[in-house]
Amino acid sequence: MKREKKKGMNRREFLKAGAGALALGTAVAGGLSFPAIARAKLKDPIKIACQGVHSGPLGNNGEFMRQGALLAVEEINAKGGILGSKIEFLFRDDENKVDIAIKNARYFVTTWGADFLIGIDSSGVALAVGQVMPELNKILIVTHGSTNKYNEDIVYKNKIKQCFRSSIPLYLDGIGGAFVAKDFPFKRWAGIVCDYEYGHTSWKLFKHTLKSMRPEVEFVSESLAKLGTVDFSSHIAKVLTANPEAIYAVNWGGDLVALIKQSSVYKLYEKIGVWLGTMGGAMDVLTGLGREYPKGLWGTTRYWFLYPDTPRNKAFVGDYHKRWNIYPSHNSECAYAAIYMIKHAVEKAKSLELDSLIAAMEGMPLDRPAGPCYIRKEDHQAVYSPPWGQVIHDPKYPMPILTNLKVFPVDKLYRHPPFPPIE
Amino acid sequence: MLNTILYLVLVGIAEGMFLWLVAAGLSLTFGVLRVLNFAHGSLFMLGAYVAFSLVKISGGNFWIALAIAPLVLAIVGMGMEVFFFRRIYDLDMSFQLLLTFSFVLMLEDIVKFVWGPLYQTSPIPPALTGTASILGVSFPHYYFFILVVGSAVGLGLWLFIERTKWGKVVQATASDREMSSAVGVKVPQLYTGVFMLGAWLAGLGGILSVPIRSLSPGLGEYVIIEAFVVTVIGGLGSLKGAFIGALLIGIFHTFGVMYLPVFELAIAYITMAIVLIIRPWGIFGVREA
Repeated sequence: MKREKKKGMNRREFLKAGAGALALGTAVAGGLSFPAIARAKLKDPIKIACQGVHSGPLGNNGEFMRQGALLAVEEINAKGGILGSKIEFLFRDDENKVDIAIKNARYFVTTWGADFLIGIDSSGVALAVGQVMPELNKILIVTHGSTNKYNEDIVYKNKIKQCFRSSIPLYLDGIGGAFVAKDFPFKRWAGIVCDYEYGHTSWKLFKHTLKSMRPEVEFVSESLAKLGTVDFSSHIAKVLTANPEAIYAVNWGGDLVALIKQSSVYKLYEKIGVWLGTMGGAMDVLTGLGREYPKGLWGTTRYWFLYPDTPRNKAFVGDYHKRWNIYPSHNSECAYAAIYMIKHAVEKAKSLELDSLIAAMEGMPLDRPAGPCYIRKEDHQAVYSPPWGQVIHDPKYPMPILTNLKVFPVDKLYRHPPFPPIE
Repeated sequence: MLNTILYLVLVGIAEGMFLWLVAAGLSLTFGVLRVLNFAHGSLFMLGAYVAFSLVKISGGNFWIALAIAPLVLAIVGMGMEVFFFRRIYDLDMSFQLLLTFSFVLMLEDIVKFVWGPLYQTSPIPPALTGTASILGVSFPHYYFFILVVGSAVGLGLWLFIERTKWGKVVQATASDREMSSAVGVKVPQLYTGVFMLGAWLAGLGGILSVPIRSLSPGLGEYVIIEAFVVTVIGGLGSLKGAFIGALLIGIFHTFGVMYLPVFELAIAYITMAIVLIIRPWGIFGVREA
C-alpha cells in the first residue's frame, strides 16, 4: 500500500514531533532540574542472559533454571519492568562444559549485549566463567554451582567483584549434614562421595564438623564415584564390607537416583541406621524416584518448596505450578531470586554502571521465596538457610516430600571470612 | 576375607554382565557389517524408555515389557538399516561416524521430546526384590537374574553363530561379502537381520537396566563409551572377546574401587592400553593382514 502524500504535517506526525521535542527538552533539562524523569529509562531493554545444563542426563537442571528465571522476568515485565525498562531474557545450554560456557558468556556480553549473566550448574564451570568476568566486566550471578571456592577464592581472596551467587554453597551439604548427623547415636560412618570438587569438599567439611562435635565418631570407609556413574554396585559393596552404622552420600541428579535405587536392591538401608544423601531433597531426585524413594532417608536441597510457610513462598509455588505444571526445584527458585536480585540492585543503584551495581548488591537484603536472605559483602554470597528433612510419601503430592525439617542458623551453617583452610 | 572376595567377584560379574549386554550388539554389528555404531548406546536408551512406558501402560508388568521392548527396538533397527545404514557401507569411514553420531543426537532429542528431561525409574519386578545367599554371601535376586540373562544371551549367540546354518552364513558373509553374495546369500537381508539382532540386544540391555538405574536423555553416551572399551579389549567384532572383556572390566572395576580407588576412572582405559600394546587386535580379535 502506498502511503498517501500530504502537504504539511498530519495530526499524527505533529503529535510525534511534539513528543520528540518534549522528550528532548526534558532530557536536556533533566540533568539539572528533573533527575527522576531523565533517568526514567536506563536502557531498554535490560538484557539478562542465562546458561545451564539443558541437554544430556543433567538436562532437567537447566530446564528448572530457565523456568524459574522466565517466571521472574514475566512477572517483572508485567508490572512495567525495572525502572520502566523491560527485561529481555536469553537462555543457552552450556552442556556442563567449561569451553562452551565461556564461549556462551563471551557471546552474551560482546555480541548479544547482555547487561547481566546468571545460571551455571557445575562448580567447575562456575569457577572458569568467574575467572573471565573481569574481562567481560558484567555481573555474574551463579544460581547452582556450589563450590566454596567460588565465594571464598574467586570473590573474597582474588577480589573478582563481578561474581555473585544466589544459591547456598556446599556448606549446606557438608556442615549442615554434620548438624543432622550429630544427633544420631551412630559412631561408624561411611561416605559414598562423587569424585570431584563438590563431593570431596562436602565430605571433608562433613567429617571435620561432625568430628569437632562428636570426637568418638569414626569414618570407616569412603568410596569415590565419578560423575555419570550408572552402576554403583562396586561402591555399595565397598562401604558395606566395612559394616558402617550410618552413611553419608554426596551426590545429585540422576547419579543420586541410581545410587538410592541400587542401595535398595543391595538392602543397604536394612543394614544401617541412617542415610544422609545430600541433594536427596531436590525436585529432580524426588520426581525421579517417586514411590521408589525409601521413606525415612534424609536429604536436603538449596530451596525446599514447602519451606518457609510464608505467603511469599506460597505465592511463588502457586504461580510456578500454574505456569509450568510442576513444583519448583532449588534451581527454579535460585534463578528466580537472581532475577529479583538484579531488579533490586538496579532500582537501588538507579544505574547500570558496574561499581554502583556492586555497591548496591553488597549487603543488600533479598526478599525471596526461600526466606530471609542478604548478600554478604565480603564474598558476594547469598546468606539464607534451606532445610534438611526426611523423605515421606504424601498422597497430596505426586512425588515424595520432606518432613521433620531441620533448619540451622546461618552463622553456624556458613563458613565466614577470612575462611580458614578446611582441615 | 574369602566372603568379601566372593562378594566382590559377584558384584563385578553383575556389573560386567550389563556391559556385555551393550557390548554384544555393538560387537556383532561391527563384526558383520563393519559399522561401528556409536548410536548403539542410544538404542539402549530408547529400549529403556520404551520399556519404562510399557511397564507403566501394563500396570507395572515388567515381564510384558521385557518381551516387547527389545522387539520394538528390532523394528527401529530395521528402519535404521534399510533407510540409512544400507547407503553407507561402501563409503568412507567418516560417513559412518557422521551418520551414527547424528543418530546419537536425534535419539537424545526424540527421547527428551517424548518423555521429557526429568529422571524416570520403574520398580523392580516383585518376584526379584529379595536377596539370596550363596556360601554365606547375600546377593540381590535381581543381579542373579541379570547374571542368568547375560549368560543365556552369551550362550544363545554362541550357539547361533557356531551351531546353526544361519550362523555359518553370517560368519561367511562377515569374512567375505562378495564371495557369499556370489554363492547366493542375500547379503542385504542378512545385514538387516544382523542389525535388527544388534538393536534387539540393545533393547534387552535397556529394559534390564530400567529397574535399577535412572533414565535420562543422554544415557546412551554414558554406556557407549565403556561398551566400546570392552569391545576393543575383547577384539572388535569378537563376541567371545566382548563377553570376556566385559567380565574382566566389571571385576577389575569392583576390585579397583575396593583396593585402588585412585585408579577407578582409569582402570578400564589402562586395561585397554595394556591389551592394545600387547595384542593390538584385542584378546580374541583377528589380526588383520
